[in-house]
Amino acid sequence: MAAVRPCGDYKVSYAADMALLDTAFYRVGFALLVPALAAAPFLLGRYIFLMNIIGIFAIGATGLAILTGFTGQISLGHAAFMAVGAYVSAFASERFGFAFPVAMVLACLVAFLFGAAVGLPSLRIKGLYLAIATLAFQFLIEYMIIHATGGTGAILVPPAGVGGFVVETEVQFYYLLLVLWLGSGIFAANIIRSRYGLAFMAVRDRDYAAEVLGINLLRYKVLSFGLAALYAGLAGSLWAHYNKLVTPEHFTILTSIDYIAMIVIGGMGSIWGPHLGSAFVVFLSQGLKILTPLLIKVLPMFGKIAVPAREVLFGMVIIGLLIWEPGGLAMLLRKFKRYLDLWPFAY
Amino acid sequence: MEFVVQSMVMGIAVGSIYALIALGFALLFKATKVLNLAHGELVLFGGYLAIALTGVLPFPLAVLGTLVIAALLGFAVERVIMRPLFGQPLLSVIIVTLALGYIIRGLMVGIWGGDTRQFPPVLPAGLIRLGGAQVPQLGIWSALTAILLLAAFGLFFKMTYLGIAMRAAANEQLTASTLGVSLTRVVAYAWAFAAIAAAIGGVLLGLWLGVNVALGFVGLKALAAVILGGLDSIPGAILGGFIVGLVENLIGGYIDAHIIYGFKDITAFLIILAVMMIRPYGLFGTEHIERL
Repeated sequence: MAAVRPCGDYKVSYAADMALLDTAFYRVGFALLVPALAAAPFLLGRYIFLMNIIGIFAIGATGLAILTGFTGQISLGHAAFMAVGAYVSAFASERFGFAFPVAMVLACLVAFLFGAAVGLPSLRIKGLYLAIATLAFQFLIEYMIIHATGGTGAILVPPAGVGGFVVETEVQFYYLLLVLWLGSGIFAANIIRSRYGLAFMAVRDRDYAAEVLGINLLRYKVLSFGLAALYAGLAGSLWAHYNKLVTPEHFTILTSIDYIAMIVIGGMGSIWGPHLGSAFVVFLSQGLKILTPLLIKVLPMFGKIAVPAREVLFGMVIIGLLIWEPGGLAMLLRKFKRYLDLWPFAY
Repeated sequence: MEFVVQSMVMGIAVGSIYALIALGFALLFKATKVLNLAHGELVLFGGYLAIALTGVLPFPLAVLGTLVIAALLGFAVERVIMRPLFGQPLLSVIIVTLALGYIIRGLMVGIWGGDTRQFPPVLPAGLIRLGGAQVPQLGIWSALTAILLLAAFGLFFKMTYLGIAMRAAANEQLTASTLGVSLTRVVAYAWAFAAIAAAIGGVLLGLWLGVNVALGFVGLKALAAVILGGLDSIPGAILGGFIVGLVENLIGGYIDAHIIYGFKDITAFLIILAVMMIRPYGLFGTEHIERL
C-alpha cells in the first residue's frame, strides 16, 4: 500500500515494515481520527444520520474492495449479498425472535455461504463474463426475495439491541455502528497484509501465474467472494435494523452500481478507498436530498428533476474521475500528501 | 396449441427487435472490445427522442432525425469518453458505460419525466389472425422492419468500404491498422451504428409498448441474446435475439401463466446463467484461450 515512502523513513524490523500505520503521518492522523469519529454526534447534531449511512455503506464497500480491488473479480451483484444479509437478519429477529447480535452473525454466515457459492463459477468464467454472471445473480436474488416473501417483500424489523439495551436513537446506533465499522475496517486491513491478502493480489495480477506459484485458485477466489459477501451481509443486517424495515427496493442493481462507484471513486486497491468513496457517494446523494427543498425555493421546477439530476451528476463524476484520476480519492489524497512533503522544493 | 402458435409468433416479433438491439451490442463489442452496459439507455434515448420529435415533425422525419441524433451521440461518446480511456483495464470501461447509462437515463427522465408516453398512432393498430393466433398488427410491422434492417446491416458489412474496414479491424486490430484502417474512425462508427440500432429498437418497442424508463431493461435482454450467440459474433447475436424472444414467450410465458407469476421477466437471466455454466463463449463466439 505504502509504495512511496518519505525519505529517511527506513525500517529496522519486519514488524515495523508490516505495521498498518507505517509512518508518523498515519499514526497521528489515526490518533486524531478516532476521537473525531467518537465526537461526531456532538459536532454534527441532527445530521448524524449521514454518518450512519456512510458507515453502513463503507462496511459493504470494504467487502467489494477486497473482492474487486484486491482480488480482481468484478461483481455487479454486491447489493444482492446485502439483501441476503438484511433478509436473514430480518427473518431471524422478526419470525424467530433471535437477539440482534445472533441475527447479525447469522446474516454474515449465510451471506458468506451465498458468496462462496457465487464464487465457485469464477474459476471457469472470468473478467467480463463473470461480471455478467453476477449481474444475472443480482436480478435472480431480487426476484427470489419478492416471490419468497409474497408481494412487496417488505418486512418490519425490531430495532437493534445488545443484551437488555435497545438502540433507539440515531446517536446510539452510531456508537454501535462505529465499533463494527472500525473493527471491520481494521480486520480488512489485516487480511490485506496477511498471506491471504498477498494471495488475493497475486490472483488479481495474473491468476494462472499465481496458481503456478502454488496459490490454490479455488480456495482464494471462493474465500474472497465469501469475505466480500460477509461484509455485505453485515452491512445489510445493520441496514435492516437501522431502518427497522427491509424492502427489495433498497438492494436493486442501482445499489450495486453505487457500491462499484464507491470503490472506484474512493480508489481501488486502497484500504481507505471504500470509506472515502462511501462518504463521497452518500454526501452526493443525501446532500442533494437535503438541498432539494432549498433549491425548490429558488427554482420551483427543481423538485421534479432532483433524482435525475443526482444520476447525471453521479455519472459525470465517475467518468471524470476515471479519465483524469483512475486511482480515485485515495490517490488524490496521497498526491496531496506528497506535495506537502516536498513543498516548497518539488523534485 | 393456440398458446404455442400465439407465443411463437409473439416470440419472433419481439425476438426480431431483440436481435436488432443485440446486433448493435455485438458490433460494438467486436470492434472495440467494450461491453456496453449503457445499451439499454441508448434504446431509451431513441424512444424518448423519437416521441419528442413526433410532436413537431411528421413521423418519418422524426425517426430520421432520431437516427441522426443517435449517430451524433455515438460519435460524441467515442470522442469524449472512450478515446481517453483507450487501453484502460476492463473494469474501468465497464464502469464508464454504467456511468454513461446513468447520465443518459437521468437526462431523459429529467427532461421528459418518468411517466409512460405513447407515440401518436402511426402504424395500424388492432389484432389480425395469423394461422389461428391473434397477433397485434404492430408486432408484424416491427418484425418486418427489424428483419429488413438486419438485412441492410448485413449488406453494409459485405459491400461498403467502411463495413469491410470495420470487419477487418474487428478481426485483427493491429493488422488492420498497419494496412491503413483508422482505428479511431472504426470505433467512432461502431458507437454510431450501435446507437442507431438501439434507437431503432427503441422506436419499434416504443410504438408497441409505450416509452418509459422500463424500456432500458431491454438492454439486458439484448445482453442475454449476445451472450447466447457469442459476444463477438454478429450472426450469433441475431440468432440469439430470436431464441431469447422465443424462449421468453414460450417457456417463460407458460411458467408465468401456470406455475410462478413474473417468471417471464427473469427468463433472460436464467439463459445467461445457463450459457455461462455450459459454454461461456456462446454458440458462435471465439473461445478465448489464455496463455501465460
